[in-house]
Amino acid sequence: MEKDQKGQLKIFFSYAESIGKTAAMLKAAQGQQAQGLNVAVGCIGTRASQDVVLLLREFDRIGPADKDGLDLDQALKKRPDLILIDELACSNGQGSRHRKRYQDIDELLKSGIDVYTTVNVGNIESLHDTVADITGIRTWERIPDFVFDQADQVELIDMEPGELIERLKGSEEDSVFTMEQLTALREIALRRCADRVKRLARRQQKSGFHTDEHILVCLSSAPSNAKIIRTAARMARAFNSQFTALFVETPDFKAAAAQDRERLRENESLAEQLGANIETVYGDDVPYQIAEFARLFGITKIVLGRSAVTRKYFLGKMPLTEQLISYVPETDIHIIPDQSTDKGYRPRKAKSLQGLNVVENTAKSGCILTGATALSLGFYRLGFTEANIIMVYILGVLLTSIVTSHQIYSLVSSIASVFIFNFLFTHPRFSLVAYETGYPVTFVVLFLTAYITGTLAIRYKEQAGQSAKIAYRTKILFDTNQLLSKAGNRAEIIQAAAKQIRQLLDRNLVIFENADGHLSQPCFFGEKSSMEPSFHMDKELETANWVLKNNHMAGAGTDTLSDARYTYLALRVSDRVYGVVGIEAANGPLDAAEHGILLSILGECALSLENEKNVREKEAAAILAESEQLRANLLRTISHDLRTPLTTILGNASSLISNGYSFDKETKRQIYSDIYDDAMWLINLVENLLYATRIEGGRMSLHTSTELLSDIIEEAIKHMGRQAANRQIKVIYEDDMLLVRADAKLIVQVIANMVDNGVKYTEDGMTVTVTARKKGNMAEILVADNGNGIPDKEKERVFEKFYCGTSKIADNRRSLGLGLFLCKAIVEAHGGTIAVGDHEPKGAVFSFTLPLEEVTLYE
Amino acid sequence: MNKVQILVVEDDAPVRNLITTTLKAHDYRFATAVNGNSAIMEAASHNPDIILLDLGLPDMDGVEVIERIRNWSNVPIIVISARSEDSDKIDALDAGADDYLTKPFSVDELLARLRVTRRRMALMQNSGQEAVFVNGQLRIDFALGCAYLGEEEMHLTPMEYKLLCLLARNTGKVLTHKFITRSVWGSSWKNDVGSLRVFMATLRKKLEKGEDSPQYIQTHIGIGYRMVRVE
Repeated sequence: MEKDQKGQLKIFFSYAESIGKTAAMLKAAQGQQAQGLNVAVGCIGTRASQDVVLLLREFDRIGPADKDGLDLDQALKKRPDLILIDELACSNGQGSRHRKRYQDIDELLKSGIDVYTTVNVGNIESLHDTVADITGIRTWERIPDFVFDQADQVELIDMEPGELIERLKGSEEDSVFTMEQLTALREIALRRCADRVKRLARRQQKSGFHTDEHILVCLSSAPSNAKIIRTAARMARAFNSQFTALFVETPDFKAAAAQDRERLRENESLAEQLGANIETVYGDDVPYQIAEFARLFGITKIVLGRSAVTRKYFLGKMPLTEQLISYVPETDIHIIPDQSTDKGYRPRKAKSLQGLNVVENTAKSGCILTGATALSLGFYRLGFTEANIIMVYILGVLLTSIVTSHQIYSLVSSIASVFIFNFLFTHPRFSLVAYETGYPVTFVVLFLTAYITGTLAIRYKEQAGQSAKIAYRTKILFDTNQLLSKAGNRAEIIQAAAKQIRQLLDRNLVIFENADGHLSQPCFFGEKSSMEPSFHMDKELETANWVLKNNHMAGAGTDTLSDARYTYLALRVSDRVYGVVGIEAANGPLDAAEHGILLSILGECALSLENEKNVREKEAAAILAESEQLRANLLRTISHDLRTPLTTILGNASSLISNGYSFDKETKRQIYSDIYDDAMWLINLVENLLYATRIEGGRMSLHTSTELLSDIIEEAIKHMGRQAANRQIKVIYEDDMLLVRADAKLIVQVIANMVDNGVKYTEDGMTVTVTARKKGNMAEILVADNGNGIPDKEKERVFEKFYCGTSKIADNRRSLGLGLFLCKAIVEAHGGTIAVGDHEPKGAVFSFTLPLEEVTLYE
Repeated sequence: MNKVQILVVEDDAPVRNLITTTLKAHDYRFATAVNGNSAIMEAASHNPDIILLDLGLPDMDGVEVIERIRNWSNVPIIVISARSEDSDKIDALDAGADDYLTKPFSVDELLARLRVTRRRMALMQNSGQEAVFVNGQLRIDFALGCAYLGEEEMHLTPMEYKLLCLLARNTGKVLTHKFITRSVWGSSWKNDVGSLRVFMATLRKKLEKGEDSPQYIQTHIGIGYRMVRVE
């Protein structure tokens, strides 16, 4: 349904400014308007040429004419058939809902409005570098390639470069580009259009869109990384392949400077925009991690920047590429030149080693060094060899590296150890001079051994930390799975998910459920004091609502409605949104790994919600089916059983009408009483049916009050039909004044059905006895007859729906078989039991119990 | 010739026919109305002696008709209801109806109810606030605060006496549980119904002694009680 209603996007595309995109767009729109479509201008650039201004007069405008931007809400409200929006790549001003205009357009399209727009070749993300190389101008206004590729129509507005230069010569804005530049740009634009057409054609041919190629690009926090990502994306498009961006989080990354983190996130979102899957792995050994990933996911091409290749490694490690080649020799490795923009970039560590930590760590190192020196002095006194003392210092450095948090401490400790050793223990003592020729070697060995031991210990510690982190996240995911599978209902599922997200992120949360397309009441999780007052801002609700409607994340840290205080994500299974989760963004945005796990949790949560919903629907359907079945059975039985008495009534009445005069008195009386009896039978049937309709989902709804059992029994017997007149009905109260809690009407029906049953299966003149007595804390009612009784094998079945005994009913009329089934349902709904037994010497006894009621008398 | 004028309010033609035929056969005078509004108009303009009112009317709820009529008239109203739920009848009785008939009903039943109501009217007209109430063997001397069955004085508890008086003063009229508990206890909550059942049971035991004693008090299951006129 959604797809049918989605609006069409047409892009007017050209290789440079002033070729006449806007004019072409307006002319096309003119044609549409002539065909009766309601066309409106969303926004047109202010520096429009004369013919554009003329054309503009023909269209309505949304929002004030002097405003530059697009009034999205107004446009959504007015709902024209077609809306014209210049400059697709434009960024929106502060305070707009979306950061980019293409997001506005997406929303318009989603709401079913067609859009015409214009874009330049330089504004397409993947072509950005190429164009910038030609023109030397970098533009910040760019659109992701998918916007261009997914447009329903792209019209290339072309013009010979010479003509363009000629045309611009007269006007104020002389062409800033040379003939060569324009020709190159034109070529790119033409090729991009051709590329798009080719891709479309290929997509139509086969549904399996991807080739076997799988391109991997490595993310980093370097500024040059963006170019590598774009290049890789272009390759992925060219090869029509899968595209993955990988970030290897090393232990060092924790200490990375804030601006590096920021840039990494930008690079990540760029890659995502260009259609890459973002993956994060943890490890110290970057090439090994890349290789492992490549092998696992069947990567065929790895794209790297040249700086990664030439970067020197400590102790002459092989360059990254070399190592990669040795790990995955079968994979292509593409190296992209990126140094021009990346002069002297090194990832910086965050400056502040926290103050307290420095003092604490220095103190620890100092103490250990002092301790080692003291011990060594002791050894020296005792005349131990220098080897022992060296060992003590190495041990000291090892300990330092274990108790401190940074490599610098073990480095300083190693150097200090060498000097102290030199100062205190080598001849001549108390000077930094060493005479013996072997000592420099000893010092170097001491330093290296101490330092390497320390470094190893620290690395070990960091790796342990890394694996603990991985294990922790794995555990959270596993726990989430467990918790969600245990959760029985929606509230529990949401509780479980919230608990897990809180555990993962330690941020305040808010969750809305999707209540038939609207947000439910928000559920807050976290420290209550800090959020609820700040939350009840319309902005937050608006954002959450937007997420619900558009199934796309929004809020703080995103491009949409970014002035909200929370980041909102949809709880969804593909296009079905089950709710919206808001995460407080006060502590900065989430990192990629957290985000990934968060998405997994949300995905699982949504899946659980969907399962829960399916189960619920299935149960409802089953209940419905069952009651439908019951109803169908009832109807079948009734329509059959109604026919018999109706036939007699109809026949008798018509014969009375047509030749009633000829009947003698006796015959007439017989006919009257037949009609009467059949009508009575029908009334009883209808009564039972009425009670049967009160059974819902196997349960009967009761309106109980305190009742005197004798009243009920008398009422039941009063209602017996004329048949009963020929039987003796005896009532015995073994206990006086039995008060029960019951739905009187229903119990009357039970007794009436039982007595009626007794009457039906006995001959004239026989006796039916009703006995009421106390039995423990229940009242027991027995209905006994002295007919033929019920065979043992049928006893179990008499209470079944539509079961009729095999024995003949006295008057040959079939019973509906509903009576005893109803009795059982009614009695059980009262909390009583029902049974059938044998009456001595012959006959059957039906009995049931009801809870007794204690009454306090109010005089 | 019956002088009694009866207003029949019934939207279903066959049932209306049945009722009017019966009334005609027994020399009652009658008028008919097919909906609530015309029923109220008829009641106001012709001032009937008894109203037979179907609860399921096309234009308004029968209970509303009762309430509107009760604004100016105490004419006895017998409701006819096809609904199986007791609550409708109780609502009608609480709104001021005097008696009820449940569809399907027999002609005999209808005539019996009319007789009961007429007798009640007659009683109301000439007794009003009489000091002594007599019904069959039962005699209540309101001034003395004593009840007699035949020549014997009945030994009643204060509560039983109160109930007996309440029923006696409304002989022929069905009194709902709610009405009785409100009148006797001044309140109406669930536990009172239990008490009421016990007191009624003991009262009836004292009143209807022996196998051949006439029935003075009728139990209407799920609705209430009524004292009937005994010949």
